[in-house]
Amino acid sequence: MNNSTAATLKPQLYEPGDGARRHPNDDNVAGSRPSLPGPTKLRALVVEDSDADLEFLVRALRKGGFEPDIDVVQSAADFADRVCKNRYEIVLADYGLPGWNGMETLEILRREGLDIPVVMVSGSMGEIKAVECIKQGAADYVLKDHLTRLPHAVRRAVADKQLRDEHRRSQEDLARSNRDLEQFAYVASHDLQEPLRMVATYTQLLAERYRGKLDENADKYIHYAVDGALRMQTLVHDLLAFSRVGSKGTALKLTDCNAVVEAALKNLHVAVQESGTQIIRSNLPSVLADSSQLTQVFQNLLGNAIKFRGAAPPVIRIRGELVAREWVFSIADNGIGIAPEQADIIFVIFKRLHTRTEYPGSGIGLAICKKIVEQHGGRIWVESEAGLGSTFKFTIPAGGEPEEIDFLE
Amino acid sequence: MSDSQAEVLMVDDSLADIELTSEVLGKTRWLPHLSSVNDGEEAISFLRRRGKYAAAPRPDLIVLDLNMPRKDGRSVLTEIKTDPTLAWIPVVIFTTSHANSDINRSYELGANCYLRKPGNLADFVALVDLMANFWLGFVSLPFQREEH
Repeated sequence: MNNSTAATLKPQLYEPGDGARRHPNDDNVAGSRPSLPGPTKLRALVVEDSDADLEFLVRALRKGGFEPDIDVVQSAADFADRVCKNRYEIVLADYGLPGWNGMETLEILRREGLDIPVVMVSGSMGEIKAVECIKQGAADYVLKDHLTRLPHAVRRAVADKQLRDEHRRSQEDLARSNRDLEQFAYVASHDLQEPLRMVATYTQLLAERYRGKLDENADKYIHYAVDGALRMQTLVHDLLAFSRVGSKGTALKLTDCNAVVEAALKNLHVAVQESGTQIIRSNLPSVLADSSQLTQVFQNLLGNAIKFRGAAPPVIRIRGELVAREWVFSIADNGIGIAPEQADIIFVIFKRLHTRTEYPGSGIGLAICKKIVEQHGGRIWVESEAGLGSTFKFTIPAGGEPEEIDFLE
Repeated sequence: MSDSQAEVLMVDDSLADIELTSEVLGKTRWLPHLSSVNDGEEAISFLRRRGKYAAAPRPDLIVLDLNMPRKDGRSVLTEIKTDPTLAWIPVVIFTTSHANSDINRSYELGANCYLRKPGNLADFVALVDLMANFWLGFVSLPFQREEH
């Protein structure tokens, strides 16, 4: 550390003879605890070569309710060294040091990956330079003849930084808990499958070898055991599929929904043919989406529309409308419908409204749709009356892609 | 494949799966002789004819589970495929896992094929039968080289 240029100024402690440059008007050497509400401590790194300006700056901060604890540097090398070794709340940088452009502080912070707010303090800073500083990431700029504004600028810059930190922390927490959850479901699915497979295969072996050789009850019991094990396998398999939605980061690409619906219908062609389903669709837009996931959404919704059909052959209408910067997709059928009071629970994983003999399935399809749609920043819901068909709707935000804007116009 | 009885080594900690596989193999036309061990350490001892495995036969096919206590299938696979006296033996990974990472890693390490254990009896029987037919009936392997 080079003490000749990197000086320490600590208003609370007087340490004579350490070679550090001391603020001449430092009258707060006693280190007494301030009484409430008291000044706010501020650990700051100041880029400044003028003693007089430094004094004005410290005074302005004190007047504004701060108790500044300041290090002063005058070169880029010292700045980089100090800023990496200490934890500063703020950097106050003179823009016009000879041989050193204050803008470099921003570059150094960026290079070192440090998020410390920078307030530019300058005697004469043109508007253009000021704007450039803000563009480069400075929190604010204050002119030296308006230093009364400095405490406010500092306070706001520090508060913004705290908000940024909190936001980042909660983002990290969320990401971690999502990761944990997905890992849990994944591991549980694998480890559950192993013993389950054993139960399923061996009860099946029992059924095969001993059917009719024990009494009637035994056959029935074995059937229940086999059925239970197979159903459990389906649940575990579905849980795994559910946990996989979003376990890998989705790469959103501009996706033509006409092609997506085409792919979904291709996967469903047997059901479409057997049920005599009629599909009526309007031209659909392109949206920013993971196309395989979006295909899954359409496939599940169309599959349900066919599965929960009424006496008449299914007629399904697919539309996409732009409403307030969102694409609202709707899939309307003429099937058995859903009572309004049940409209919400159908999206919950493994929730079913019918017995397995009425309609097969584990109740995973809509839960997966909901997870996918929400990961795309949209919502999903149903509008329906029992016996009057259902209209499932979901939204995908209309992105800022130029192709999409063309489409809008 | 020669006229002599084919040798299969199954490495699996699930006695239930060994039992079932053995039943199915006993009904194939190839009627292989099945040896089984329950973890990776045992498998290596068997293949290197150590200790109680001094007289162990050289397998024509190894059916290897991935997740086992002590030494897992990945380590066993690595040892087999990096040993010139063993590397020629086809190794079929036979496991419950269908994680992409397990599949990719197995092929990286030189697995000859990766099969997931089916969850129900009919599929299990069909798959083991198919595996025996393919590897013991149709595949031509290099001529066996005995180590010196």
